[in-house]
Amino acid sequence: MHLQVVYCNHHTADLSVRERLAFATETQIQRAYEALRNRFPTSELVVVSTCNRVEVYTAQEETGPTPSREDIAQFFSEFHNVPLDVFTDDLLRHAGPEAVRHLFQVCCSLDSMVLGEPQIVNQVKEAYRRAQENDACGPLTRALFEGAIRVSKRVRSETGVERGRVSIASVAVGDFGKSIFDRFDDKLVLIVGAGEMAEETLRYLKDEGVREVVVINRHPERAAKLAETWGGIACGMDQLHTWMAKADVIVSTTGADRPIMDVATFRKIREQSDGRPVFILDLGAPRDFEPGIGGLDENVFLYDIDHLEATCERNRNARAKEIEKAERIVQDETEKFMHSIYHRATGPIIQRLRDDWHAIRQQEVDLLLGKLPHLTEADQQAIEKTVERIINKLLHPPLSVLKDEAKAGPPDSLLNALKRLFHLSE
Amino acid sequence: MGGLVSSLNQVTLFCFLASYGVTLGLEGVRLIRQSTVNRVFMLGFAVAGLVAHTAYLLVRSQHANLPPLLSSVHDWLLVLAWLAMMFYVVLMSLDRDVIVGPFLLPLVLVLITASAFVKTTPQDLLDAEREWKMLHASLLVLGMAGVASAFVLSLMYLVQHRRLKTAQTMKNGLTLPNLQKLARWNWWAVVLAVPLLTLGMATGVGLILSSENVAPESWLSDPVIIGNSFGWLVMMVFFVWLLTTRRPTGKQVAWLTLGAGGFLLATILSLSLLSGSVLDTQHGGEPVESSFLVVGG
Repeated sequence: MHLQVVYCNHHTADLSVRERLAFATETQIQRAYEALRNRFPTSELVVVSTCNRVEVYTAQEETGPTPSREDIAQFFSEFHNVPLDVFTDDLLRHAGPEAVRHLFQVCCSLDSMVLGEPQIVNQVKEAYRRAQENDACGPLTRALFEGAIRVSKRVRSETGVERGRVSIASVAVGDFGKSIFDRFDDKLVLIVGAGEMAEETLRYLKDEGVREVVVINRHPERAAKLAETWGGIACGMDQLHTWMAKADVIVSTTGADRPIMDVATFRKIREQSDGRPVFILDLGAPRDFEPGIGGLDENVFLYDIDHLEATCERNRNARAKEIEKAERIVQDETEKFMHSIYHRATGPIIQRLRDDWHAIRQQEVDLLLGKLPHLTEADQQAIEKTVERIINKLLHPPLSVLKDEAKAGPPDSLLNALKRLFHLSE
Repeated sequence: MGGLVSSLNQVTLFCFLASYGVTLGLEGVRLIRQSTVNRVFMLGFAVAGLVAHTAYLLVRSQHANLPPLLSSVHDWLLVLAWLAMMFYVVLMSLDRDVIVGPFLLPLVLVLITASAFVKTTPQDLLDAEREWKMLHASLLVLGMAGVASAFVLSLMYLVQHRRLKTAQTMKNGLTLPNLQKLARWNWWAVVLAVPLLTLGMATGVGLILSSENVAPESWLSDPVIIGNSFGWLVMMVFFVWLLTTRRPTGKQVAWLTLGAGGFLLATILSLSLLSGSVLDTQHGGEPVESSFLVVGG
């Protein structure tokens, strides 16, 4: 039995390297599996490729040659046409329990850039599904990935490692926006500026069902680009006040050196807006909205970057406290998984040994009973049962030793000895 | 079977009052630190209390040979608390993160404690009055349940509003419903409760007018009826304001609900308490004969 992972991730490699080694499209993944299967026909394979990691898991039930780290590196190099020296040092390899622990940590989001982020488990599930679709999985990788998904559920339910949002945009939308509004599909979102953070916030809002988006920027071409990406409309700065009066959510990241909105102007804007709730995310530094705007009326909810960052920091600290608990679960599950795998490896040998010995028992009992035809049926059954008990008692010590050995690790030497001593073929 | 009946007879107010008290304590712990064990104990105590509560009402109803709503003020206050606890248990089973206990459980404890000091003697009912009094009491209890819900929802609204205005996050993954939802539920609770109360009052007036034993004039000077009517009137004014005001803000509605609903609840509770000893009233049956923590049956 052999299990390993060769990988690079955000700890070991820069984004510039990871993006060259990633398998971004469905076609690329299919081609990768085809190439891997050709190179390593006896191995089970699963490729996990996300923006933060590229990992190749290989497994073999039978002993024999297995793909080495260099083999996998060679594959990456040839498949992506990237020289080996660009990334070889960034590639790591874990085998056996270390490989299992690594996948469990990845799936539980303990190895993620944002600790506890929930997307990774879906990415692992997706990678496993693709491996199945490409006929690259086998019994070991199936057990490994299904185990990882189960462990991730356990960690989620028993620890708070995923609790609390830790990115500015997710805190803004998840902790505050969703506490104000019941739904977002009937809300108008106004984006002022076109920064990265505004785009990320928009992504979260879109996930919540936002349909109407208006983008306002000093540079019309930037506004048009963002509006096109998110299915909104682009407008000039001259329409800022009109759209502010209509908007339910305002996300502002202008990068201006002074506030673009003062209290007096916003009071006039509020007079046109019927006093309905407005959720303002001021993600600019310096701020785009004067802080006094938040106190204009009870339905203005204004959050600046400091409010959001403080929440992120608190949540990050709370999550960090849960890591230890999650790591203990991962360790416990890794041990359980390895035990089950080792037991599985000894299973066929134990079965073969039992079958052989019982076949001999049956042969000899039949021979004996043929020579003693005068015995009653009850006597014959008594003899059969006695011989069967002898066989079971003789088999018990070696099999229990084998089971004990399997608890500590793969009992390869013992299995080989049994095979040789009792002529058990592969 | 006999053992079960005897056990049910031994259930006292204190049994479920204590269970709910512990549940509230565990809710407090949950605000500081959330854990599965705490949640299991919290739900466990709430369910245990609810079972005892149900048994207590059933036993009293059996002994009086009347439904709990008709039996006495003591019983209908307990029915109101029972409805609130049912809502709590169902909600907590469905959503592990929502916080409702700290708002709802104190009200439940107040209702149960108050029930220990009000009339516990069942009324003598003529068969002809039975259905009408049943309708009268049911409408008032449902209306009161609506007012109590609106009161709790308004409290939740104000806490959520304050949290959002001061940019505080909820700890331990706990949540409160969003403002729009709370405002909507509050509106519906008031809009449903007030007509129920009005119908309850109307059936009460009908019962007074049809009463052969007591002259209608003496009912009109009954302090309990006058006090309750005044509480209803305040709710009615709020109801009309709610339906006629264009775009009232959620916070305004929440404060007014707290005011009007709180006034009605406080009036009814204090009149129920005083009618047992201080006030001379014919409403709700004979004067109080109970002592604190009455044994069931």
